[in-house]
Amino acid sequence: MESVKRMSCEEAVRQFYAYLDRALAGEPHDALEDHLKACLECCEKLEFSRKLDAFVRGRLWDTPLPEGIEQKIRRTLCG
Amino acid sequence: MAQGPKSAAAQQSFEDVALQHLKALYGFALKLTGNAATAEDLVQETYLKALQAFPSLRQPERGKAWLFQILSRLVIDRHRSPSREVAVESPEDLDRFSLYDLIWEEDPFPYSDHLHDDFLAQFRDEEVRGALLALPEIYRVPLVLLYAEELSYKELAEVLGCPIGTVMSRLHRGRKILEHELWECAKRRGLVKTWKA
Repeated sequence: MESVKRMSCEEAVRQFYAYLDRALAGEPHDALEDHLKACLECCEKLEFSRKLDAFVRGRLWDTPLPEGIEQKIRRTLCG
Repeated sequence: MAQGPKSAAAQQSFEDVALQHLKALYGFALKLTGNAATAEDLVQETYLKALQAFPSLRQPERGKAWLFQILSRLVIDRHRSPSREVAVESPEDLDRFSLYDLIWEEDPFPYSDHLHDDFLAQFRDEEVRGALLALPEIYRVPLVLLYAEELSYKELAEVLGCPIGTVMSRLHRGRKILEHELWECAKRRGLVKTWKA
């Protein structure tokens, strides 16, 4: 007896980022995994989302703490 | 609001709790603003606000999350502006935006076996950062917190003071705006044709 409606591609795509963030659980998680088992195109789209995330994450600004900032803040806090 | 002069002991206690997170807080501010001077000002303002609110901090071991929360809310509240919200497209169109599909349709590298990878490889670091800065703060703050601090949705909800469902939709929409910005950047660079609006 088929009582659970299959997830559409559009619904699947909307869940991708939550899935990649490991924030999807229970029925939505299982429904998405079932969908992915049967849909190669969505698997490829999911893989692109994963790559895009890593791509942006790897390009965030990262510089050392400016010299003297701690002393400056301590002075500010002392008023 | 000023709460009167602090005792030396209270001041020392605050500095012990708060200043150990300076590096992380500055890193977060820099990723959010993309500008060293702005990030430094933001961190200073965060510490001043935190000092005033310090008596209400019941769990000093949560000091880092508390400081991130203050800084996040400073950024979001300062830039709360409806005009930026609709700057891109209607929310429904935006949620359906697919960079993957557009690259596939446009096929900028017809002989490539790795079309989507080759597309991403065209971007310079500063263009990707520019796309991130184009996000309204309400989307950029949770996304940077997720990327840089790897907070869970539950932790993000606490920091941002909103339900988990709101965190989920902001993170989804934020990434869709980012995809859109990268596409716009590719059009400006002439990497793809500009027949599509």
